[in-house]
Amino acid sequence: MRIFQKTNFNFIRYRKIAYGFSLVLLLAGMASLAVKGLNYGIDFRGGSEVVIRFDKDVDVGQIRSVLDAAGVSGTLKQYGMDRSFLFSTVFQGDSGQLKSLVSNALNDRIKGNHHEIVRIDAVGPSIASDLKWSAVKALLASLLAILLYVGFRFEIKFATAGVVAIFHDILTVLGLFSILGGIFTFMPLEMDQSIIAAFLTIAGYSITDTVVVYDRIRERIRGQKPSEYERIFNESMNQTLSRTIITSGTVLLSVFVLFIFAGPAIRGFAFAVFTGIMIGTYSSIFVAAPLVYDWLRLTKSAVHLRGSKVS
Amino acid sequence: MPSMKNKRFNLLLIAVVTFVAVWSLWPTWRDYSLSKQLSSFGSAQDSLKYAMNYREDIEDARKKSLKLGLDLKGGMHLVMEVDQVDLFEQKAWNKDAKFSAIMQAVRAKASQSDARVIDLLVAEFKNNNIRLSRYFYDIRNSDQEIVGKLEKESDEALSRAKEIIRNRIDQYGVAEPVITTQGSRKIIIELPGVSDENRVRNLLKGTAKLEFRLLREPEVMIRTLDRINSYLVDNSVAPQAVPVADSSAVAQSPLPPSVSTPPAPANKPASAKPLYDVIGVFQNGTAYTSEHTKEFASSLLHRSDIQALLPPDTELLLAAKPDVGKNGEKLYSIYLVKKAPELTGGVITEAKATFGSQGVQPEVLMSMNSEGTSKWARITGANIGKRLAIVLDGAVYSAPVVQSKIPNGNSVINGIESLEEAKDLEIVLKAGALPAPVRITEERSVGPSLGADYIRAGMQSLAWAFCAVSIFMLVYYKKAGIAADIALVLNILIVLSVLAGFNASLSLPGIAGIVLTIGMAVDANVLIYERIREELAEGKSVVSAVTQGYDRAFSSILDSHVTTLSAAFLLYTYGIGPIQGFAVTLMIGTSASLFTAIVVTREIFNLLLAKNLMSDKSFG
Repeated sequence: MRIFQKTNFNFIRYRKIAYGFSLVLLLAGMASLAVKGLNYGIDFRGGSEVVIRFDKDVDVGQIRSVLDAAGVSGTLKQYGMDRSFLFSTVFQGDSGQLKSLVSNALNDRIKGNHHEIVRIDAVGPSIASDLKWSAVKALLASLLAILLYVGFRFEIKFATAGVVAIFHDILTVLGLFSILGGIFTFMPLEMDQSIIAAFLTIAGYSITDTVVVYDRIRERIRGQKPSEYERIFNESMNQTLSRTIITSGTVLLSVFVLFIFAGPAIRGFAFAVFTGIMIGTYSSIFVAAPLVYDWLRLTKSAVHLRGSKVS
Repeated sequence: MPSMKNKRFNLLLIAVVTFVAVWSLWPTWRDYSLSKQLSSFGSAQDSLKYAMNYREDIEDARKKSLKLGLDLKGGMHLVMEVDQVDLFEQKAWNKDAKFSAIMQAVRAKASQSDARVIDLLVAEFKNNNIRLSRYFYDIRNSDQEIVGKLEKESDEALSRAKEIIRNRIDQYGVAEPVITTQGSRKIIIELPGVSDENRVRNLLKGTAKLEFRLLREPEVMIRTLDRINSYLVDNSVAPQAVPVADSSAVAQSPLPPSVSTPPAPANKPASAKPLYDVIGVFQNGTAYTSEHTKEFASSLLHRSDIQALLPPDTELLLAAKPDVGKNGEKLYSIYLVKKAPELTGGVITEAKATFGSQGVQPEVLMSMNSEGTSKWARITGANIGKRLAIVLDGAVYSAPVVQSKIPNGNSVINGIESLEEAKDLEIVLKAGALPAPVRITEERSVGPSLGADYIRAGMQSLAWAFCAVSIFMLVYYKKAGIAADIALVLNILIVLSVLAGFNASLSLPGIAGIVLTIGMAVDANVLIYERIREELAEGKSVVSAVTQGYDRAFSSILDSHVTTLSAAFLLYTYGIGPIQGFAVTLMIGTSASLFTAIVVTREIFNLLLAKNLMSDKSFG
């Protein structure tokens, strides 16, 4: 079976449209980040959360008023699973107290519907700031590592364009999180540790796709005149199009399965990886390689690539 | 084509890897089938009999099987922080107001960042242009030496705290607890399968600092309370007008009231007896506060301007447990005790929870070492007729009147509500006191029912992802897809067996990592197969197309694996707990796919090619 027979798209000619599209995506995301900001989970803002599960259906409003009456202040939301609710409040060093407060109030006021507190998470402010720093450090370190590695394997123009593409992908997903945050009840899209894991996965995968395209360009560009670059770039991208789409496709398939089956704790992560890989696939064709092309064109320099194989 | 020798080596390698993977997962399978067998029996007796007969088998399998993470099994993950500011305060001498102000600032900064407390301390002293030797160790020591000594102290405190916490947990009885330290002040505690979280939390968070302290005379107590009351009247600060006092807010005014600037005119109603609104005093000089005023009274008594009114070297402490008043109200006694303890818990060698003489009140009996025994005899002998408070972590458990000299080093804690609590006291007293207070700064607990849900969700995702990806490969690449699917199965086996072999545990994010690996592992095959298709399209023979495909795809496979691996490695380095589980499975899976997707599929093709079972149609 073949999804793509021999294709012959002129990617390079239409790159400006792609640049425009990316710019719009990025600007929309940035605008939303500036205006609406992000929905931080307790990993990054500190706080306590309990997940309460009821045996029978119950109205959110009813639980909310019961907890209000008991003097437990916080926010209550439907949690991804059936008859489950997530109650979040400020950090309580002693989550036992919080648990018994919530439990007693619900036992007293909602009779005949047994509930269970199935999860407690409490993150103190110092831990939250640690986690934030670790996340930033991990992201920066991975970008640097990728820059160095690709710079070593190809050349610095390729590496820089690849890292720009990663930035593009992560910022777009971040923007999406800001725009869509809090809209869906089945996935609150909060920024927490798992989203950082998603970003690092996206970074690793985005460059994977890009490298596949680069690799082909490297193979074919050796000893060619700069005037031939446009043709070579286009042909390389067309030749690798099928691989690029299929490799992304298999990963998208498994991430989609995660999104559907793995439950609310993983849903935000799966969403981030899913959109990130789609955007990463797009950016390896429409952002990374065209940027290298433009760079080469503007500096009028020939490429000096390492590691190209003569066969 | 690879040489014959090389080929044989690869086949051998595949056989060994497969064997090791299956062998290391065998106990997991055994454990699973044994527990299934156990639960299948109709009666409890049958299953008990079976368990007795196969006990060794069951235990062995359980020990070597793949461990489930806290989120899947249910349990608690706690991060506790050793209060190093308190530790350093203990080490300082001639502390004055300036010192408390500095430590206050250090404490505020430490609660907001992960920086080492010792660095914050040094920076704060530098800001104030004060040498550390003014408060720490010897005046002749340089700052450098003092920092070195304090560092050593804090390292020791952390490892001692870890040991004590381990003792407490071991005595409480949790299967396979994991206790580690992180950085300079954190202890990470993982307790799988804990059902009574509250009890564990209480067991862990107490310092267990036991002290025997003399009470001051009732007249002194009454005079002191009067003085505080009139001070509060003078300052016309009605209790309800005072926000729940934050000790840092008032730390700067330890001056006597006459010197302090007159307070702002009260715009809230002032009471004539602000203290006695929250504290009651009996004729005999005992004072108490009721349950709902307890918090306020306690914060009031901790204010440094109030503490300045107490007789020198004394302190007001609240009772640990309430007495029940006439109309059923819970009343907490207040005690005026000497600051310096007569004796501390370090001398306690044995503790035992029992019921008291009437057989209803739980209590804890303690015995002391020889040094403690002789001191205890001297103290009790010298203070007959006086009251001696038994204080644990700053709360008074009881304050009995010394009846006679106690020569045998025995003492008893009573005023305990339940036998369970007495047992917990026994545990913490036996384990010894923590060098400094600890605080829970992070907690994640998952109940067993949610854990079961997670397992189901994780297994479903694994199964569906595997089906989806392997069917896709079959449909898209036909015969070559079979090779990729075999490689995929081996890949999953390797990930699980590495986890089992290294005693790492599988968590929900870990399962997510495996699911993602399923998608990524076939990437290498896709790259190779697409390349082979291109070579075939150029009219090459199957044999040379396969060879060229593997050779030429290798560099992009390597590049993509290295980038994924480095991202996963950094995630592992900087992430904590759950995320590390994801990073670990992703790393194992990605590395394993270099082997499975390249070496294994290649060998399969070699076998098929040798038997002439491949054609140019075999790649779809």
